[in-house]
Amino acid sequence: MNGAEAIVQTLVHHGVDTVFGYPGGTIMPVYDALLDSPIEHLLCRHEQGAGFSAIGYARSSHRTGVCIATSGPGATNLITALADAMMDSVPIVAITGQVPTNAIGTDAFQEIDILGLSMACTKHSFLVTEPDMLCQTLHQAFTLANSGRPGPVLVDIPKDIQQAPASWHPPLDLVTNGFTPDKAAYENLHKAQELMLSASRPIAYIGGGVNMAHATDELRHFLQVTGLPSVCTLKGLGTVNPDNEGYLGMLGMHGNRAANTAVQGCDLLIVVGARFDDRVTGKLDTFAPDAKVIHIDIDPAEVHKRRAANVVFHQPMQWVMKELSSALPVNEWLCHCQRLKAEHQWQYDKPGEDIYAPHLLNQLSRKLPDNAIISCDVGQHQMWVAQHMAFHHTRNHLTSGGLGTMGFGLPAAIGAAIARPGDTVTLVSGDGSFMMNVQELNTIRRRQLPIKIILLDNQKLGMVRQWQELFYEGRYSETDLSDNPDFITLANAFGIGGRTITHRDEVTSALDEMLSVNGPWLLHIRIDAMENVWPLVPPGASNHEMLEKRS
Amino acid sequence: MSFQLHMQCHKQPDVVERILRVIRHRGFTLNSMSMAPSNCGEKIELSMSVSSLRPAHLLTTQVEKLHDVVALRCLDTASNHAAISY
Repeated sequence: MNGAEAIVQTLVHHGVDTVFGYPGGTIMPVYDALLDSPIEHLLCRHEQGAGFSAIGYARSSHRTGVCIATSGPGATNLITALADAMMDSVPIVAITGQVPTNAIGTDAFQEIDILGLSMACTKHSFLVTEPDMLCQTLHQAFTLANSGRPGPVLVDIPKDIQQAPASWHPPLDLVTNGFTPDKAAYENLHKAQELMLSASRPIAYIGGGVNMAHATDELRHFLQVTGLPSVCTLKGLGTVNPDNEGYLGMLGMHGNRAANTAVQGCDLLIVVGARFDDRVTGKLDTFAPDAKVIHIDIDPAEVHKRRAANVVFHQPMQWVMKELSSALPVNEWLCHCQRLKAEHQWQYDKPGEDIYAPHLLNQLSRKLPDNAIISCDVGQHQMWVAQHMAFHHTRNHLTSGGLGTMGFGLPAAIGAAIARPGDTVTLVSGDGSFMMNVQELNTIRRRQLPIKIILLDNQKLGMVRQWQELFYEGRYSETDLSDNPDFITLANAFGIGGRTITHRDEVTSALDEMLSVNGPWLLHIRIDAMENVWPLVPPGASNHEMLEKRS
Repeated sequence: MSFQLHMQCHKQPDVVERILRVIRHRGFTLNSMSMAPSNCGEKIELSMSVSSLRPAHLLTTQVEKLHDVVALRCLDTASNHAAISY
């Protein structure tokens, strides 16, 4: 057995069934070993696509995503995806080839110090310099990627290490996952219960950490027993069942007015797996100004970082949620929140014949089964998806939350389609984002993945254009995309069929047609270039200062 | 505010680089640093003086997360009292 074969054996040991990657000189021994392994390799058309596909695979399935690239440009092309995984806490193991050990530091062909480059965008990164350390390092990488707050780990492996004789062994260190609450944990529980009982306007502010902690069921039970109203972050969407009577939707910059109003008026925030992100809080010192805070998060660095908490839990979220699940006297407050929710329901009665993207997305959402996966890119359409589509589980909503990476959606949808072949996968993209990783259409063709693509085309970089309109006196700088290609011809070139629609009365039949096609399909939708995302908390403003659409 | 950080780390070639990166990125300035081997050369002891307008815990919680940092102690330079300790 050589090092490359030991790498593949280690992947098999960790239950990896699919890896995403792109071959090259210094990773060739691994690609040779993959030929004889049960692991499927999906050839993406850019290493960034491989990285995002691994993220889509991981996020949609709760497994570890694995991506592989060669040294130099292959490795640097992974960086954006690693940064995305770091910001959104996604467990990824990235394996990169490196020039032979004795060539490191000589500016060899396709040499780059990826260990150095990856420090800011991984939980940890390793350079394997001894064949004997190869297996244990990879085992460590899988453990680290999934432990505590999940994240990406990179393992850089010189070519000579891949070719050297090696022996495979299982992990050498036993990992214990047992949890026994101590006295301090119970004291904190008591303090939290006192805060919850004394609050008259408590609300749960829920983030993506709940799904990461496998605590969705416990969180839903907690909301049901306590009767608390709740709001979600972008990454938390799907944690609360959309039919929950106290659920007010997404909060923050493009959140629902009911959600922001309730949070601004609350007297207790129970923060579960969230981090007071700036897109959530708006002007921080006016965010929920009267609220005490119970903060439940596994990462100590997120507590007291942007908002001091009165009670803190780093214990397993499942345990905390279960222990805090007691009925609360919040009926009056819950009714108030429900009135807010009714008062601020989304309206879809925009006059005119043009296609109103929020309404279209809402129609699409109603047509899709509860287990359908939506992958989206970044920009206006991303916020419309968050606002107007319903999610029954966080794993069904793939969105680049922290890093906000245009080009995320298409490869992430590919990863999801591989991870969950029985579920419908729909990509919602914009004409700006779509072009950023458009080469991955060929990855769809390669596997004949039945991904449905909704392309909302306003011939603009819509979100930037919106900000130029609102905050830069209408000075539109480099946001015009009227020279877009013919997207249907483009899709056809990759063997993907499609249709363009421009009028509202075409929407229903076009959505039905798309969902009835067996293979991939592109629905190209022309929308108003000047449509904006509303409501909006302007930068630097408080969340109660939301702007609504101008008449 | 100025703080003294005392760390024990696994002796890895990249560990100091990682710590310095976090110090810079999280808004702290490195004023001085010393390093010595320990545990028969398996670990290193790092002592640093850093300063920032930000509270110490915003740095220490991030440094503590680094894989090769084994232990960290933080002292307030002015009082020499523990600002944060683990």
